[in-house]
Order: sequence, then C-alpha cells, then structure tokens
Amino acid sequence: MVMRPTTRRRSGDTGFTLIEVLVALVVLSLTASGIAVLFVMSIRDSRAARDQTTAMVMAVERMEQLWALTWGIDAATGVPLSDVTTELGRSPPDGSGNGLVPSPPGSLETNTPGYVDYLDGRGRWMGTGATPPAGATYIRRWHIEPLPADPDTLVLRVLVTTVVRDASPLAAGQRRTRRADEALLVTVKTRKAG
Amino acid sequence: MIKKMLQAVGERGFSLVESLVALVLMLVVTGAVFGLLNPSSMASRTQPEAIDVQQRARVGIDAIQRDLLAAGAGLGSGPAVGPLVNYHAPVVPRRMGLQSADAYNLARADAITIQRAAGSYVQTTVRDPMAPGALDLTVNEPPNCPSRNGVCGLSQDMTILVFDPISNFDSFVIRQVQAQTVSLLSRQRSPSAGYAPGAYVAEAEFDTYWHDPAMRQLRHYDGYQTDVPVVDNVVALGFEYFGDPDPPTRPKPPLGTANCLYDAAGNAISGLSQLPPQGGSLAPLSLSTLSDGPWCGAGDNRFDADLLRIRRVRVTIRIQATQAGHRGTGADYVNPGFAKSSQLAVPDYLAVFDVAPRNLNLGR
Repeated sequence: MVMRPTTRRRSGDTGFTLIEVLVALVVLSLTASGIAVLFVMSIRDSRAARDQTTAMVMAVERMEQLWALTWGIDAATGVPLSDVTTELGRSPPDGSGNGLVPSPPGSLETNTPGYVDYLDGRGRWMGTGATPPAGATYIRRWHIEPLPADPDTLVLRVLVTTVVRDASPLAAGQRRTRRADEALLVTVKTRKAG
Repeated sequence: MIKKMLQAVGERGFSLVESLVALVLMLVVTGAVFGLLNPSSMASRTQPEAIDVQQRARVGIDAIQRDLLAAGAGLGSGPAVGPLVNYHAPVVPRRMGLQSADAYNLARADAITIQRAAGSYVQTTVRDPMAPGALDLTVNEPPNCPSRNGVCGLSQDMTILVFDPISNFDSFVIRQVQAQTVSLLSRQRSPSAGYAPGAYVAEAEFDTYWHDPAMRQLRHYDGYQTDVPVVDNVVALGFEYFGDPDPPTRPKPPLGTANCLYDAAGNAISGLSQLPPQGGSLAPLSLSTLSDGPWCGAGDNRFDADLLRIRRVRVTIRIQATQAGHRGTGADYVNPGFAKSSQLAVPDYLAVFDVAPRNLNLGR
C-alpha cells in the first residue's frame, strides 16, 4: 500500500507554509517596531517638556531679578532712581554691569556682555561673556528698551535658548521669536512714586 | 516497509533542514523582539516616574510663585491705600497662625508666611476702640463697602486682617455678625495688640508654605485650621531673601506715637544700617539679619524691621522620584535608591527660581 500525495495537501491545510510564517513575522516585527517608535517619541517628548520647564524657570528667574532692580522715583526729592550698575550675568550679581540701562539692539540675537549669561543642563550658572564656556547648555539673554513715547517705561524681554539651537542662524532680517524648546518672556516696567 | 514508513513520515512532517531553518528564524525573530522589548519595558517603567517628578515640580513652583507674587497686594478699594508693606511685613520667614506657630524671633529657611488683602471691597476702619485681646469689632461703612448691613459686608467665616500704621496687625475669623457687632475668633493663640478707632480692617488671606522633612512634603497652611500637603517627595525647600540696602522708612506712625522706626517726634530711631548691595539695587538678607531686631508690631506678631526691606525671594525646591527603584546613587540623589540601571534612574529635579513680589517693588 502506498500513501497518496494527497496527504501532503492535507498537511498544507492544517499547518503554515514557510511563506505564511515569514509574512506573519514581517507583520509582527513591523508592529513591534511601530510600538517601539511610540516609546521613543514618549521619551523624547517628556525630555522636551522637562527642558521647556527648565528653560522657563531660568527665564522667569532673570525676569524677576530685572523686575526687582531699582526703577523708581525718590519720594522725598522727586528725582528718578535707576539701577545702572548691577551685573545680573554674574552669580551672585555685582556692580560691574549695566542694570536697567537700555541694551544695544540685537541683544536677544547675539551674546552681548552685560545682557547674557550661560547655564548648564540643570540650570546652574556657568559664566558670562561673549562666548559660551565649555559645557554650557543654555544661553540666557535679555533686552531692555524704553518705549519711544515714554523713556520711563521699559520693555523687558528675556530669551532662554540652547547652545545647539542657537547655532542654527536666523534668516536675514528675521525677527527673534520663540522657537521650539526656547522660552521668551516680555513685560513692561514703569517708574512709580513710592 | 521501512522505506514506506520513512516516506510517509517525510510527507507528513518537516525535513531536518526545514526544521533547522524554522528554528533559526524563530531564534532570530524572538531575539530581535526581546531586544526591542527590554529597553522599551525599562522606558515604560521609567517614563511615568520621570513625568511625575516634572509635574510635581511644576505644581510646587506654580503654587509658591502665585502666592508670593501677590504678597502684600489687595488694598486700595478702601481707606487703607498702597501695599501692605507700608504697614507691616507681608512676607515672614516663619510659620504663623493658630497651630504650631514659630516664635516671633525665629527665622527659618524652610518656611514662609505670605499675607495679602483678598482684593475684595470689604475694607474699612475700626469704629469703637478694641482693647488688647478683645474679640468684638465694630466698623465704619465707607462708600466702598459691598453691602450696607452695618458691618461693611463682613460675614460669617470670613478671614480678616486688622492693622494700624504703627505696625501692629492681627488676624481673625468672623464667628458671627449680630446687628452692628462682629464677634471674632483669633487666628492665633491670642490677639497681639489693641486697636484705636481708625485702624484698618480688610478681608485677607494667609499662606504658609513649609517643608515637612519627615513626610518629605511641601505643605500649605492657611494660618488657621487647614494644613495640607501640596507636593509629595520634596526633599529640600529653601527661601533666601534679598532686599533694599537702605533702611525702611515705613510704616510711619502719626506724630505723637512711636514705633520700631520712629520716635513720637517723628525722628528715625531704628538704628538699621545701610547694607552692602550686590550691584546697584539689592542686598542679600541673612536669616540672622532677619531675626535680630529691632522688633516692630506686638506680642506674637512682632517682626524684625529688616523684613520690611524684602524685595525679592529666591526659592529652591528639590523633588525626588517616588520609588527607590527609580533612584540611583551620587550627587543627583538626596536619598539614594537602588535603580538597577541608569535607564531606570530618574535624578532629583532641582528648581531655583526668583520672585519679585510686585507690591514690594512699588516706587523703587
């Protein structure tokens, strides 16, 4: 008695062919890599959120320090009082800077001594000057500009960007706005009598 | 017969080569899948913890920043004008209130009490004199009062601040209002001072933030009966103060009355000196400077006159991962854990931020 080749057909019906298995594997690995991409995205986004928070905390810190600089009117004499010496770019601040003296144009775009400092990835102060020290992650710049109609009212801007982001230049004539992973704050400070 | 059987087996199953190929494929694929799964399972265990640390940091920063920004604010709709700091210190480095209050001469780095008027129209003045310790209050009804009920809109359970230009202040909760008399409960052990007619009354808010090192919590106390955790797993909280190098000039009492800054003839007597500034505006105020007198106010609400200098507060808050399995060892961890790999470790999040309370920076 000889087995008929029909049995092969039956075994084909009940099991899987190599092709089927391969197709299944390809589908499986595509799905798995799709899920892996989701993990990668989630890690990247939560790091971006952390860096954004850190950048914002650093920007707020400088804005509040600028806010607390003297910019008032002496109650007894009526003479304006202005801080023109505090160097906030140093930690702790000293008297070697410009205080609330209006900054040269472009102090948000380029590192202008007196209106810039550098921080590491955890937000710790690293130094000031025209170029970031080795190991700096963040650049914090600020810009002080009186309103054209009212020299007693200052527009204060603080920008926190990363050394990496800052390396990609702006297009010619492009105005500085907030780019991804940067923090930009704007406020107005005006002279008031006490 | 054997040949037939072999043939039958061969037709029914797989050849050795087929089996080997299948086995190798299986191994390669499962290996690859596990290779993917292992780091992603670490990531999926670590990410919620990392995000949680950040979120708790944001909540803590936001709570302190919001209340500190408004320190001393809220007057202006009634008889008292200007920031609260013109009358007494709205930012104090200690815990104040009914429960576990710190002594008036203690300044600590891990607690802060912030006062502000609630910003409502319930702002008026005392009508009949209040003796020290008195818990009955009558008030005038200036035009700003929100209702004409004889007590300027004061109502049950409202928190109020009574203060004068001499630097005394006290905080009360309204127990009940009967006709034109308001009966009060003190929000501290006992009221600190008596008040003359014309002393100010305003609806107010008190916020104490403090660190509980045992529970590792940032906590908020309302100065009365509610003390609640705000953020868990806070391993450090610190406040540093920066202020005016010049001695304070307010509160200035009316002529004939002395306080911590002026004698009855209106001469400055505080003896406070000029402090060396960092730059052109602010000088750091050490905790000892803030607890060495001269003392303003009265009783438990005495406060160091240097507190009137405060213009900027630096807050340091450090948050750690909840599970020790997500903490490593080294300088990044106040409390070391046992994370088995760096992928599982979430470093402590340290935030340092400054707040310049707007109402402490008017006129400067």
